[in-house]
Amino acid sequence: MSKKTYDLLFKLLLIGDSGVGKTCILFRFSDDAFTSTFISTIGIDFKIKTVELRGKKIKLQIWDTAGQERFHTITTSYYRGAMGIMLVYDITNEKSFENIIKWLRNIDEHANEDVERMILGNKCDMTDKRVVSKERGENIAREYGIRFMETSAKANINIEKAFSELAEAILDQTAGKENNDNQERVVVDRKNQEKSPAYSRCCTS
Amino acid sequence: MEVKDFSNEITEDQKNRNKIRCQYCNCLILNSASAHYTDIVFSLPLVHQKRSKSIDDLDTEEFNQYWMIEDMYTFENIGFSNTVGDYKYLICADCEMGPFGYHDLKDKKCYLALKRVKYEN
Repeated sequence: MSKKTYDLLFKLLLIGDSGVGKTCILFRFSDDAFTSTFISTIGIDFKIKTVELRGKKIKLQIWDTAGQERFHTITTSYYRGAMGIMLVYDITNEKSFENIIKWLRNIDEHANEDVERMILGNKCDMTDKRVVSKERGENIAREYGIRFMETSAKANINIEKAFSELAEAILDQTAGKENNDNQERVVVDRKNQEKSPAYSRCCTS
Repeated sequence: MEVKDFSNEITEDQKNRNKIRCQYCNCLILNSASAHYTDIVFSLPLVHQKRSKSIDDLDTEEFNQYWMIEDMYTFENIGFSNTVGDYKYLICADCEMGPFGYHDLKDKKCYLALKRVKYEN
């Protein structure tokens, strides 16, 4: 077995209504001039990014819901192992903001109770089309005791910062139980995951 | 086909001598000595595809020199495409250009084509 080159691994999810720009947060150039590249044909499943916080090397594995939200099929299997959730709405879309409450309830039902959450009001570069004020975003975050930030995936505003803050919150929570080698293995093949709801671990094979 | 000599990039124990970066945006993909050189033949889709192309009909290019990465968490920064057959393709986590290589869902390993990445010490 190869030597571990990091201290911690955090699995993060992006959740919210269709069209709020979650995919753009993960998939930055989706509506740019890059439409003829390979990846725009196939789409992104997840990314691994490395950040350093308080002298610790942390690997972030970031997943998008990949359209499952349209069918309301975001259930326990998707949330499994998630340590942080970015809850995204679009500041130009009232409905997506109202649905944040529904998403919070969905998270309560299906995710670990100690999952760190953060609300992102995305598309903050589109000031002329804004219908949800920053104050309303701040208020709902305060009400639920969750972090909040306005972002723009397109203009690259606060994206890195949002991920670092979420990672930092998880780090605060995991302090003391670090470098746990028994961390659940993350299954990357969704097909197999569906076939075998029982969680596969390295030691069972 | 252009032949490039990578012998300076491979250490005596078959590892990458230098850091591996994205050739488009310079994003750090792997630290030095974190991948193993391997002679396997695999065809990767071209970075630029014609607009009409579908997933089953991509233009590809064959490579026979790859860096093998045992554990996906060895990567500093990397993106995984959706699954195509038994594979996910590897792209830059920042600029999303690629594919630079592939992830084999059967052996769980990752492979980066020597020619599709950039080296820097």
